[in-house]
Amino acid sequence: MKGLWKYISPFAPDQSGAAAVLYELGGIIVICDAGGCAGNVCGFDEPRWFTRRSAIFSAGLRDMDAILGRDDKLIEKLCHAAKQIDASFAAIIGTPVPSVIGTDYKALQRMAEKKLDLPIVTIDTTGMQLYDNGSEKAWLALFETFAAPVDVVDEGMLAVIGATPLDMNGLDAGQQLQQQLTQEGWDKVICYGMGATLDDIRLAGRAAKNLVVAPAGLRSAQFLQERFGTPYEVRYPLAAAPWQAACAEAQSKNILVIHQQVLANSLRTALRQHGAADVTVATWFQLKDELKEEQDIALAEEDDLVQLVRQGEFDMILGDGSFKKALPFYEGTYIDVPHFAVSGRM
Amino acid sequence: MRQEPYYITVKELVEAGRDHIPDELISATHLIYSSPATLAFNSPGAQGFGVKRAGLAIPGSVMLLVGPGCCGRNTTILSETGGYSDRFFFYVMDETDIVTGRHLTSIPQAVQEICQALPTMPSVVMICMTCVDALLGTDMERVCRKAEKKVGIPVRPCYMYALTREGRKPPMVAVRQAIYSLLEPAEKHLDTVNLMGHFAPLIDDCELYDLLHQMGLKNINEISRCRTFQDYKDMAQANFNLILNPESRLAAQELQERLHIPSAELTRLYQIDKIGRQYHIFAKALGTSIDDTAYRAEAEQAVQQFLSAHKDTVVAIGEMMNANAFELSLALARYGLKVAEVYGNLAAEDFVYLRQLAAISPDTQVYTNLSPTMLYYNCSNQDVDVTIGKDAAYYHPGSVNVPWNEERQPFGYAGVTHLFRQLSEALS
Repeated sequence: MKGLWKYISPFAPDQSGAAAVLYELGGIIVICDAGGCAGNVCGFDEPRWFTRRSAIFSAGLRDMDAILGRDDKLIEKLCHAAKQIDASFAAIIGTPVPSVIGTDYKALQRMAEKKLDLPIVTIDTTGMQLYDNGSEKAWLALFETFAAPVDVVDEGMLAVIGATPLDMNGLDAGQQLQQQLTQEGWDKVICYGMGATLDDIRLAGRAAKNLVVAPAGLRSAQFLQERFGTPYEVRYPLAAAPWQAACAEAQSKNILVIHQQVLANSLRTALRQHGAADVTVATWFQLKDELKEEQDIALAEEDDLVQLVRQGEFDMILGDGSFKKALPFYEGTYIDVPHFAVSGRM
Repeated sequence: MRQEPYYITVKELVEAGRDHIPDELISATHLIYSSPATLAFNSPGAQGFGVKRAGLAIPGSVMLLVGPGCCGRNTTILSETGGYSDRFFFYVMDETDIVTGRHLTSIPQAVQEICQALPTMPSVVMICMTCVDALLGTDMERVCRKAEKKVGIPVRPCYMYALTREGRKPPMVAVRQAIYSLLEPAEKHLDTVNLMGHFAPLIDDCELYDLLHQMGLKNINEISRCRTFQDYKDMAQANFNLILNPESRLAAQELQERLHIPSAELTRLYQIDKIGRQYHIFAKALGTSIDDTAYRAEAEQAVQQFLSAHKDTVVAIGEMMNANAFELSLALARYGLKVAEVYGNLAAEDFVYLRQLAAISPDTQVYTNLSPTMLYYNCSNQDVDVTIGKDAAYYHPGSVNVPWNEERQPFGYAGVTHLFRQLSEALS
């Protein structure tokens, strides 16, 4: 039945994706909610929350704020916080409540900009989309707002777009990427979202090349190509341990990979190099046309996965372990490739 | 910019008075900081009992959460907790649902599919609604009645409306009403009492059980000790309800109106003399008497043993734990400990404790977890030997911590005894 999920819990929503992008940048981040969404964003979808402080706040909306559309009260609270918190920008991230009452985020932005001497970013997430949609909006808003013209391009500099804990397979993914890409010959590696600063975003035009590691970063890479002429490449350069196990058994197999599209595509390349017969990528998240192969599947409902696996005759499935609960009938090899946005595991 | 956390001393608070609580301590006036210390406030379901888990207190029940995907997100944690993985189901709303109300016609079918997918029929299906349906003004009672007709078992709404948190019926009050709503009129048993308020039982050695027995009450019901749906339904036989958490008052009031079960209330306290006084007043009101001397002596001994070894202990007290932070602060200060800091969400009712605390510990600093300025809290400004509460541990990671947030609920003398034994153990 459309909308009914009996076995798999909901995935990280768009507001979590947006917050993850902004988490390390030193801004005031306001989740425009009653409290529960901010609690979920931090308490569940943001693993850095326990080890690294960030100025994430809930707007603390109450029923009359929503009914009467008290945007002025929200701006008043934001101004009060800005007097207390040393921040380089402020961001307002949407949730279901402002979505239902039709909040005008552009108007919120203008109101805030008039009262604050800070750049303001608003992200019209709704809580009804998935995390990658929120991340994509946040990446784009950041580069559109902050990336300024530069005089020179650093030919030894590579910038990574799309990395947040929701998409990567480790909290130290930023360092891992730096290490891996330096070994590949780059002098300087900037990892937006995991290690980079707001100044790095401002100087985005200096990168000789951008590397997209998750679909949410693709539109920003295209935007930076248009604005600065920076070329981009799309691949996930970090091979995780489960990959090796899968590759060792891949010979002549019909394999289904369920993950974020860029990681899944890179995993497919590795599986093919180890003799896999057919590899299909399926995802509930963004399936970009320019990155997909003909057989790849966009999943929308829980039932879609059940149907795909029943009909697909897959010898092996690679995906987050939590999907197994929906597939009790599946008798092939299932290899757990954790996806934080799905199960909160890395 | 000062980059300092906001705090106020107990003396200053009391001098200002309950009608002049500083804005910084009133959550509706500022943005709410989302730190690990605020998890219990912002996302009460993420740990312990929030609406979702509480809504499953009825034995054999399952829950269909109807809302945007984000509202069900932290349920993943609960699903991993023992016994819940097969009890949560989700109807994930999209924009079309919100615009057209399509989800309302889908719910009865979703309930039917859930019942068909389960190996045994559930006792009741709880439909958990979110802020979205609060704003849409959905009549979920009506939708539930339709679903009931389809599956032939009770289907009840419970409301996870964070928007109403400071209203007359906040979510944790409403869910208590929901879970007692299935009780139907039954013959009264004079020797039966319901303990209302918590979703986990009192600690097994709590003296309240024995004291109630002394008062002639043989059957003591707690919803968390009900093993079957019939056990739950038998709660309707109670002579009276004993409220142990104020969030149950409205549920008790409804039971009084609907089932004619009256109620009394006991407060969780950590001041031994007040605990005794409360018990004796309660017994007298029931026209009986009790002997609590052994329990009281045990609590006093636990306190004395702690004080003899750790009398100069400096304490910081949070609110993510099984006590009122201000009452516990008062209790510890009266026992002679130094209460340096309290992290609490202050209410006007707390002034009854604050006024006494101001007399013996005027310099105790009151912080609020919810203030954005807590981003700048620096534990090095205050030497604290032991913290009580999970949030307090966040602020003083280098100090000994007693989380005091177990699901089994401490109460009365036994609560004092256990707390001081845990403090002794932690400090030794």
